[in-house]
Formats: sequence, structure tokens, C-alpha cells
Amino acid sequence: MGKLIAIFALLVGVLALTLAMDRSIPEADFTYIQPQDIFTLDPQAMSYNQDLRMAYAIYEPLAHWDNEVATFDIIPAAAERWEISDDGLTYTFHIRDAARWSNGDPVLAEDFRYAWQRAIMPDSVADYSGLFFVIDGAEAFFDWRTEALEAYAERPASQRTREAALALREETNQRFADTVGIRTLDDHTLEVRLARPTAYFLDLCAFGPFCPVHPETVEKFVTVKPESGRLDTDKRWTKPWNLVCNGPYVVEQWQFKRGMFLRRNPQYWDQDAIVSDTIRTLPVQDGNTSILAYETGAASWHSDVTVKYIADMLAQKREGKRDDIHALSTFGTYFWSFNCRPKLSDGRDNPFHDAGVRRAFALSVDKQAIVEKVKRSGEKVAHVLIPPGSIGGFESPQGLRLDPVRAREELAKAGWADRDGNGVPENESGVEFPVVEMLCSTGSYHEDIAMAMGRMFTEVLGVRTRIEAKESKIYKDDLKQKDYMMARGGWFGDYGDPTTFLDLHRTGDGNNDRGYSDPVFDDLLARAAQEPDVDKRMTLLEEAERYTMEDTLPVLPIWHYNYYYMFEPPLDDEGHVRPGGLVGISYHPRLVQYMWKLGVLKEGDEVRVTEMGVFAQ
Amino acid sequence: MIGLIVRRLLQMPVILLVIYTITFLLAWSLPGESLLNDEGRRPPQSVIDQMNREYDLDNPYRFYANYLYNASGVRWVVAGVTGGERPRWIFNFGPSFKYDDWSVNELIGSSLPVSIVLGLSAIILALVIGLTAGIIGALRPNSLADLVTLLVALVGISLPSFVTGTVLLVIFSVWLRVFAIAQWGSLQDMILPAVTLSLPFAAYIARLTRMGMIDALGADYIRTARAKGASNMSLHLRHALKNAFLPVLSYLGPAAAYAMTGSFVVERVFNVPGIGQHFVSAVQNKDLFLIMGVVLVFATMLIFFNLAVDLMYRWIDPRIEQ
Repeated sequence: MGKLIAIFALLVGVLALTLAMDRSIPEADFTYIQPQDIFTLDPQAMSYNQDLRMAYAIYEPLAHWDNEVATFDIIPAAAERWEISDDGLTYTFHIRDAARWSNGDPVLAEDFRYAWQRAIMPDSVADYSGLFFVIDGAEAFFDWRTEALEAYAERPASQRTREAALALREETNQRFADTVGIRTLDDHTLEVRLARPTAYFLDLCAFGPFCPVHPETVEKFVTVKPESGRLDTDKRWTKPWNLVCNGPYVVEQWQFKRGMFLRRNPQYWDQDAIVSDTIRTLPVQDGNTSILAYETGAASWHSDVTVKYIADMLAQKREGKRDDIHALSTFGTYFWSFNCRPKLSDGRDNPFHDAGVRRAFALSVDKQAIVEKVKRSGEKVAHVLIPPGSIGGFESPQGLRLDPVRAREELAKAGWADRDGNGVPENESGVEFPVVEMLCSTGSYHEDIAMAMGRMFTEVLGVRTRIEAKESKIYKDDLKQKDYMMARGGWFGDYGDPTTFLDLHRTGDGNNDRGYSDPVFDDLLARAAQEPDVDKRMTLLEEAERYTMEDTLPVLPIWHYNYYYMFEPPLDDEGHVRPGGLVGISYHPRLVQYMWKLGVLKEGDEVRVTEMGVFAQ
Repeated sequence: MIGLIVRRLLQMPVILLVIYTITFLLAWSLPGESLLNDEGRRPPQSVIDQMNREYDLDNPYRFYANYLYNASGVRWVVAGVTGGERPRWIFNFGPSFKYDDWSVNELIGSSLPVSIVLGLSAIILALVIGLTAGIIGALRPNSLADLVTLLVALVGISLPSFVTGTVLLVIFSVWLRVFAIAQWGSLQDMILPAVTLSLPFAAYIARLTRMGMIDALGADYIRTARAKGASNMSLHLRHALKNAFLPVLSYLGPAAAYAMTGSFVVERVFNVPGIGQHFVSAVQNKDLFLIMGVVLVFATMLIFFNLAVDLMYRWIDPRIEQ
């Protein structure tokens, strides 16, 4: 018996010891739920929405978006003002004297130059390197560095020493200074020369990957690898005890999958703008658990509701039973891709190579029914790729709507008609239209959508369909190999310009999963890129969107994505301030939430109501 | 005893090497790209090729050898001997591809203690509940108390933990508001997940104890002890339970290892930042270094638990030594 108790005591002892070593995250003024933990705090490596949101909390880029107005204007942030040369090629940014890093260092033009160079290096896989290529010489520099690394790796081992790697780094820095259009005129002045006039360059300057980093901090963690000549950055620089920030908040704690604790950065120049002193993130992966957590008061904002019963929650809201679920339209579109290549991956002829067939399929989908009866969560039906109204000055075309008669005509014109009376169309040589394989990933609503669309295709066009639901990595692989006929897809825009969507269809673009290649379209984009006149440029891009959405249809848009938030509304039905409500949420479709604007209302607080939301006074 | 320990420790590298090889083969054959996130933007192919080369993702033989070199601690030792630059960790499992800012060592370091705490509490709870229920059942076989424990045990074994977990969550956190949801840090946050996780183990232990006790109570030595005038209490706890506990003990080794790592569902329902999530998500993300890292750590743990159980076995029951 004594021995049993000893074993028991040992177990309890180990348990107590491990518990004692644990440190939990304190309560904050404002806590919010997100489904995933933050992936990275390195702004140049970010790609997820939640990470970018965190970037704006702890770093300050040159400019911010005014997310309180529908026009989403660019307003000064770390730069207090800027000048643009008459040819639209040179931007001169004046960084404010009061801007400080959290360790007290002034924010310098060099900090931006350093950060941007990090992004224009192929040494780490940064999702957004391509956005920097609007800067003069950036793309050529990126390619040069890629080739230089290639050549270095092929040297004999004896020539791959630390000294050689350091020499390559020296040469790289020199080349960057000589050839890329980023210069520091003095400590507080940054001059950027663009490759060609880029209407949306200021919009990019507000985007997460364009945030500065503190060079001395990062540099402590950078080493060159003698074997490959690459720069290796030890990610420990983003750990709370190392990280130096220039944004409204500093990171005080970060525990994997437990969350992050942010505190007001006392060095930040605009203290008045900060609503909550402390912020905590609460990553909750399971959708049900996250909703229960929100409902029991663990957080004041649920930033991404994904449960299957959203439709029911929205219905409850309409019936007046709850007011804390909110659907917000976004800068993204759900669509189905057509494989546009002449041959399928197995060598058969691809009927979807013919734009007429693609049009026929697009005309036979009742999108309204799909959104209302299958998806059931209040999305806006999409007839175009770029969400209408999301980009100032851009007029969306009509797109194609349900029209079964025209659909059958289009298919017949493309040479497919039911010649033997069995209901399935054949071509002139009597070959039946192949079974349409609809590729999607498992575990979400895509299979339901595919099923509904497949029935519509069969009813209107007589074609047979088959759903191929695959695990997401396999789905992604098939997509890349163009091993599909139709596949589900979607896209969120990155910056406030139509090209953030239209580039998807450009011949050879890395994200052109459709293999779509059309000289007319490419020419429109090329002409727009060279067009200095803003209005004329927009007209060209509008035509590009019309061309792909009405004539050639590489993708078949179904709806514009919604995001679902949970929070207490800041105003009651009469428009009075409601203590406990959340202020600072912007309803602009770009869906940029600046965390320093977020906070929970207290008794006696006053608010400002704008066209895009309710904000703290 | 010493011989056993030495033998097991000598076997360990061989077992781990086999596990490493099998895991490597399986993980390598997963479809998809390791380096790219599924929803992100695709960098130029030349860059992807270079990065693949950097992490040996272009060559399975090099990957197999280099990863082993790092993870086994050989690099660390060699660097020490030759005076080269030592890596940060003795057993270096490399970076995570999915969680950019964390190395696999850091990820395991932050999630393994959580899982150990949760798993151990569950095992302790399971022992308390299971032994009590088992003893009650054995002393009064086929009584109402026995039937009730049998019923509870059946429920415990058959109900999946996402059901028991959700039910507990709704009752105690949503209705009664006793515990916070989705938090981890204090003893309170641990209670519900530990109870959920312990139920199947408790049920199994209860059945094992009951069977063992009933067997033991019918044995000759118990009759002798009774004849010698031993009290009921001492009879049951000192004599019968001691023998009845042996099967429970041998079950505890794998059970403890399982409780500490197999709690993916419980982790999800209660939002526990443990290591179980990595077993599933690392494979989904094809996060090769993370897959290899967690498997190796888990295998090592399993070997040590089995060794510990064998040692305890001998300690409790000296007959086995001969």
C-alpha cells in the first residue's frame, strides 16, 4: 500500500512542479478571439489577415487608411507628409520627428529602406515581395540576387566560406543602394522612385509588409550561411523580450496558442488615438468553443465566426432575438475556376478551352438560389470578380446572369448539341460532352455548392457532373497541376486597385490556376500599366474586368465573401451609447480593423458615428 | 534491475531509428508543398526551388541524413569537439514551416508541459475514480453499486470525448458558469478537460480492478489471511488490491503516454494549447520538421514510460525479478 501511495505522490509531485512553472496571460481592457494564433510578427513575412491586423497594432507604416470613410483615403502615419513629382514617379516622404521606436530611438528613413530591402530579397519566402516591384529596379534586383545565390551554390565547397558569403552580402547591399529606387535623403526623408507611375503606390505604403522594422534589433539575429550565401534571420527577434516596435502597442507576452498581451506603447507619438490600454488575443481554433467563450464573456470581439449555424444566428438576429452577430461584406469573391488549357492533364481535349462553353456554364447557374438556399448566410451574389463599390472610381460591369435559353444557344454555338436525343450534348463527331469533374476541398461547404451547381448544369445544359472532393493539400496540388475541369476558388484583394484582382488572369501569373492566357486581356493590362492618366487607366481596367466577366469567363463568380463578427453593438435602437458595446469596428469592405481604435464602451463615453461605423470620441 | 535499464537504453536508439525512418517515409510521401501556405500568394518558382534546396526538401536522402544529424544531437556533439558553432539546442528539430516565428523545439517546449500536466491529472483522476469504483464493484458483485459503476464505466468507454467534453462544457461553463471557457493557465481551467480526458481511462481501470479484486478475493492466501484474523480493511487493501493493481499498473504506461498526447479532441473542445494538435495539423500542413519532431519526442516518451512502469512493477512485486 505504501508503495502505491508513493507512485501516486510521484505523479502529483510532477504535476505540481509543471504547474508551478507556468505563467498565464493577464486580463486586458479589451480581449478578442481569432481562430488561429498569430503566425508571424515579421511584417515582411506576413500574409494572413490576422497577422496584418497585428502589424498595424505594433508597427506604424508611412501611411494609414482612413477606415472611417467610404472613400478609404490615405492619411499620414509615420510620415507626416509627402510630395509626388509631376511625372508621378518620385515620392518623397517626410517622417515625423516625434515618431519613436519603443526603445526610444527615433524612427528614421533608413528603417524603412532596411525593411523594404528585406522584402525585396529572395532569401526568405515572402508572399508579398512582388508588390515591391513597382519600385524602380526592385524586380531586376530580386532576379539578380536569385541568380547570384544560384551561382554561389554551384561554386566548389572550398569557395563557399564565411568570407565569401559576407562578400556576397556586401556586394548585394551595394547593388541594392546603386540600382533600387529607394534613397534616404536625410534621417527623416525617404525618396522612392517608381518603375512607372503607379496610382496605388500610397495604398501599398499603408499595407503591412511595408511597415518598418528596427534595423539594430533585426541585425543582431541575421547571419550569413557559408554553404548557400543566403541571409538567415533567426526569428527570435520577434519574441516579446527582443521585439522593438514603433506602433501604438508593444507586445508584452506571447505564448503559442494561448495568446498575446499588448500594452500601450508609451513612446508612440499619438497617445490620444489609443482607446484601450491593454489588448489580449485569444486564439480559439474550435468554432463552437469560440462562440461559447464569446457568449460567456471571455472576449468582447469575435473576429471570425465560421460555424455552420451562422445562418441560424443571422435568422435570430432578423427576428430580434440577438444583436451580437454581424455580417460584413469584404474585399473578396468566391468563384469556380475553369481549366482554360486546350488539353486536360490526361491528354483529352478540354471543352472549357472554348470561351463559349464557359459562358454557357456561367449562364446556367442560379446564383441567387445558391446563396439563399445552400449557403444561407446573407452574402451578396457576385456577377463580377471585383466587389462593386470597394475601389473608388471603378465602375463594375454587369457580368453574366442566369439565362438558360442563352446558355443553351452558347453551348450549341460552341458545337455541342444533343444529337442522339439522350439528353447529353455531343459535338459534331458524335463524342459526348465529357463528365464535368468539379474539384473542391473537403471539410467545408464547397461540396454542397458543387452539388447544387452540378444539378443546374445538368438541368440547363444536359451535361453530367461528378464531384471530386479532396483533402486540401491534394486539392491545391491538383489545382497547381491544372488537373481538373472546374475547381472551387476564391480571392481577396490586397491593395486598393483593380489589378489586385485582375492580375489573377495575367498570362503566367503565379496565382493563375486556370492556365488562362489571352493576348487581348494581357494587352489591356499592359496598356493600363503604361497609362499615366488616372481616368483613362481606370477605363482600361474596367474593360479588362468586363472582358473577363462577360466574354471569356476564366472564373465563374458566385458571391462576394462575408466576414462574420460577434460584438455588442455600441448604440441601442434609439442611437444612444450602450455601455459594454464595442467601438472602432469599420464596415468598409477592405475590412481593416485598427486595434487602437477598438475598445469597450463605459458609462458616460461619447462616440462619433461615421458612414463606416461607430468610433470612440 | 540495472541490467534491464541498460538493455532498454541500448535498444532505444535502434527503436527510434526505425520509427524515424518509417515516419520519414510516410511524411515525405504526403502530397503538397511544405513551404507554401495554402491560401497565400505564390512566390516565383526559382525562389521556391532555392528554399527547397536550403531545407533539403529537394532530396530525400539528404533530408533524411541531415535531419537525423541535427535531431539526434550528433551535430551538437561534433560542433563541440571540432570547436565549431554549436546549435542552440542539443536535439535540434529545425524550424516550423507553418508557424514562422517558432522553431519546432520551441513549439514542443511550450505545448509538451501543457499536455503532461493535463495527461497526468487525467491519469491521477482516472486512478482515483477507477480504483474506487473497481473496489466497490468487487466487494459487492452484482449489487446496485456494482451495476451503477458498470453503467458509468460503459458510458465512459463508449462516449467519445467530444460529446462528454461538450456536455460538461455546456453544463459547468455555460449554465452554471463555474469555469471559464477556452482559457489555459490556472488550476481551474484544467478541471473540465482533465475530467473529460480521464473518463475512458477511469472506466477501463475500474473494470481491471474489479476483475483483479474478485480473482484475488477468491484466492487461497486471502483465506489464510482471514483465518489469521486480518481485518476486512487490511484484507482488501493490503492483500487483495496489491495483486489486483498489477494489471492496472501495466496499463498505466501506455495510458499515461496516450493521455499526454492523444488528447487532440479534448484539446480542441477546451482550447488547450497542448501537443496533440500538432499530430494532426502538422500532417495537414505537411510541416515536415514538426511532424518528425513530435513523433520522435512522443516515441522517446513512450519508451521511457514503459521502462518506468516495468521498474515499478518489479518494485511492487519482487517475484518478477526472479
